[in-house]
Amino acid sequence: MHIGRTTGVAAGTSFIDPKALAKIDSLELLARTVVEGFINGLHRSPNLGASMDFAEHRAYMPGDDLRRIDWRLFGRSDRYFVKEFEADTNTNLLLLLDVSASMGFASSGISKLQYAKYLASCLGYFSSRQRDRVGLATFENTIVDYVPPAAKHLPIVLQTIARAKPEGQSNIDAALRAVAEHARRRQIVVIISDLYDEPERVVRAVARLRNRGNDLIVLQVLDPAELELPFDHAANFEDMETGEAIPVVPSLLREQYRTLVQEHTATLARLMREERIDYALFNTAQPLDHALFAYLADRQRLSRTR
Amino acid sequence: MSLTFLAPLFLVGLLAVAVPIIVHLVNRERQNAVAFPSLMFLRRVPFRSVRRQRIRHWALFALRCLALILLALAFARPFFDRESQTANAAGGPRELVVLLDRSYSMGYGDRWSRATAAAERAIAGLSAADRATLVLFDHEATAAAGPTSDVALVRAALEEARPGAGATRYAPALSVAQQLMDRAERPRREVVVISDFQRAGWDGQELPRLAAPASLTTVDVGDSTTANTLVTGVDVTRDARDGVDRAVVAARLARKGQRPVPDARVTLELNGREIEAKRAALPASGATSVTFASVAVPEATTRGTVRVTSSDDKLAVDDVFHFVIARAQVVSVLIVESPGSPAGRTMFLPRALGIGDRPTFRVVQRRSDRVTAADVDDARVVILHGVGMPAGAVGDRIRALVRGGGGLIVALGENSSTRAWSGAAELIPGTVGEIIDRSAERGGSMGSLDRNHPALESFRGTRSGDFTSARYLRYRSLSPTATDAVLARFDDGSVALAERRVGEGSVLVFGSTFDGYWNDLPVQPVFLPLVQSLVRHAAGWTPQRPWETVGQVLALSDARRGEALVAVAPSGERTRWTEDDSLRSLPLREQGFYEIRDADAVAASRVVAVNPDPAESELGAFAPEELSRAVSPVGTVDATAAATTTLSLAERERRQTLWWYVLVVALLLLAAESLLSNRLSRSARLDVALAEGRMDHA
Repeated sequence: MHIGRTTGVAAGTSFIDPKALAKIDSLELLARTVVEGFINGLHRSPNLGASMDFAEHRAYMPGDDLRRIDWRLFGRSDRYFVKEFEADTNTNLLLLLDVSASMGFASSGISKLQYAKYLASCLGYFSSRQRDRVGLATFENTIVDYVPPAAKHLPIVLQTIARAKPEGQSNIDAALRAVAEHARRRQIVVIISDLYDEPERVVRAVARLRNRGNDLIVLQVLDPAELELPFDHAANFEDMETGEAIPVVPSLLREQYRTLVQEHTATLARLMREERIDYALFNTAQPLDHALFAYLADRQRLSRTR
Repeated sequence: MSLTFLAPLFLVGLLAVAVPIIVHLVNRERQNAVAFPSLMFLRRVPFRSVRRQRIRHWALFALRCLALILLALAFARPFFDRESQTANAAGGPRELVVLLDRSYSMGYGDRWSRATAAAERAIAGLSAADRATLVLFDHEATAAAGPTSDVALVRAALEEARPGAGATRYAPALSVAQQLMDRAERPRREVVVISDFQRAGWDGQELPRLAAPASLTTVDVGDSTTANTLVTGVDVTRDARDGVDRAVVAARLARKGQRPVPDARVTLELNGREIEAKRAALPASGATSVTFASVAVPEATTRGTVRVTSSDDKLAVDDVFHFVIARAQVVSVLIVESPGSPAGRTMFLPRALGIGDRPTFRVVQRRSDRVTAADVDDARVVILHGVGMPAGAVGDRIRALVRGGGGLIVALGENSSTRAWSGAAELIPGTVGEIIDRSAERGGSMGSLDRNHPALESFRGTRSGDFTSARYLRYRSLSPTATDAVLARFDDGSVALAERRVGEGSVLVFGSTFDGYWNDLPVQPVFLPLVQSLVRHAAGWTPQRPWETVGQVLALSDARRGEALVAVAPSGERTRWTEDDSLRSLPLREQGFYEIRDADAVAASRVVAVNPDPAESELGAFAPEELSRAVSPVGTVDATAAATTTLSLAERERRQTLWWYVLVVALLLLAAESLLSNRLSRSARLDVALAEGRMDHA
């Protein structure tokens, strides 16, 4: 899957430039802006689960399932209300956010970490709206902050996301081992990282988590400059995590670099698919809601076919 | 010998050197600071290194910088100034005038120490060729030292200077500065004013302007916020009802500043002994008064002092107020009347003089045939009522009295004929003529009055005396000379009142009588003040004020001629006048009690209390720039001198023509830079080609 796909996108859905999102200070407001925006654009609610336990009534909104309209209430009040239900599965959503130094890279506009923060906030908000329990773990070579999944933890999750700073070297293998120790219950785990590691090591680490019964979603976030190497001048390129520097003439090795990156993402996608792990690549230059919408629509389609 | 520039503005061009530096830094930044998330993929690329050209680039960079520096130097027209060692770097020797404010407000807080420090700084930079004058000023300005090249002399005067009791006035100080600047011989002239720039010191009127090329520098030692408590004055009320002379003293206190004083201590001292202490609350920026219990006044002059003490007061001078409670002043009046006049005819005069205490009149009445020389000796004023000039010793004593500052008042009546006054023509203003009888027309009236004359100035105010209601049936004509003063005329133009100054004294002649026979003046309300006013003027009496103010000049005209006098200032400084001194005036410069006494006496014949000007306690200031604008020279810098300097510099530069050599070197460097630059770029192109070849090969 590539972020360029727009499968299932409804006409009239507005996509928000990540640079515009960067002007919104509150992550909750940001997440609501993005999530409510694309929900309103869908023809039908993307809710993944049905519900059994009644929670509350709310006013009917276009796009709601007509079957969920409470007709008895309509008979009494002459107004449409939709019955809200507690999520049947009470699923846990654990967001794993890579906060290593490399995530701080930004060729223009927003950094990868910012983009990843928006992604995590939107998913957390979206999930919380479905009454899932939301938790968070930020990691580099080990866990930096951990918020256990709970129904009321969204504000803490959002605050922790907002506080995160890009520091340290990433080691996804070690980090996921630590997460496995914390998370004993089955849950949906969303890993948001730039995945600078050998594809085999990454998949092996992720698969270990999956084998414990978790539903894994891996979202790779890359800057367009990482994909294209658009630099003109010869320069010392310095590794943001290790500090190691090497002199580089970009014009002479651009093509080879692009090939290597494409091979890397293709290998990741292939290995993930083999392990039945959801994987998506996000380019920070692309509108966030566009990418998220495409991914969720895709996931919904896939879930029906599974 | 030093390197100087004819056009130093071109040195700004040296900033151009920054351009290659910035370019270089930007390049370096670009080369060294590309942070990249991971070198994972870059490391796998077979070719990765770039050439380093730093050393060769540095050479190029240095060449470019040097060329730019030399170009800027060449345009600045450098030359070696061999004369600068002897001449003053900024245009020759200086004439410096330091105007140091020593008014009493400079005693506020640490103003004085800051002021002397500023003065010290001003004179510290003087060289042997410079000249300085230290002028201390308050309401007057005096040169304490200089003009002198001896800095030690100025410094010594500065160390001796202290703030005084005077009030600030800028005009006298600037006038002295102007005179000094006009006489100055040094080419650079500077006036430094060190002051607290009190608004009270300058009312915005025109000040003496300094002539070009003098410049004015101001040093403000004032404080932004001030607090001051002071005694602004004293009211002394006399009460002699029970036969005991008592006085009630009320002190007026003021508070300047934003904070009130809840508990100020106010004391009354009489003759150096504390009589009473009271507590007073003073509102912020307000005033109050404190009344002390009544005290019996001793016979002699009493010296009184009111002091106020408050916690945050930083100005001590105005916390003390001195005053004098004097004995009642007495003026002796001798009335000489006609021998044949019936008893009680002149009763109006002594009655009119028997009232009042400012001054008290002691009246003696004598008939002209019984008056003695001793009577005249005891009198300060003699009134000759309807009689001629007494002959013999009495007449001589009267002449002496008048010449010595006493007074003679003549009322012309039945017996005041021309013949009766023929022997005293030098005393009478003009000539006494015949009787003018206006009874047929029911009398004349007073036509005009010179109310500006000192004898009649008490009638200057409106409704202060109706002179027209009195009817004059008879009066004598009087023809004064041009040098005599006419104070009043009747409605027919005849002189009613005239004055002649004789020696130190005064002779007043009234054309009619004061007895009610020739006129009804004595029964008019204006009679009493007129008589008292005339006698006071003839006696040369001035009210002795309870206190004087620093800066005033005390005229000692009432002191009799021919007596040697000594005045002792509060500091002990003595001023002496010999018997022959005619001008006896005492400038009051100190706060406290001045004593004036006969040269050979021990006890003071007069005590004068002197207080500083309360206006100086208003510590509000004006911007020193206002003074600079009002005083600074109208013209600009002396054009002739400036032109001479410029010409000589240009001449020196023209003879050396250093710029030409510098320019040639700069051009050679630029040529070398071009060569080096070309070679480097060829080499760079070759390297890239080689690199691409390696890539293909790989």
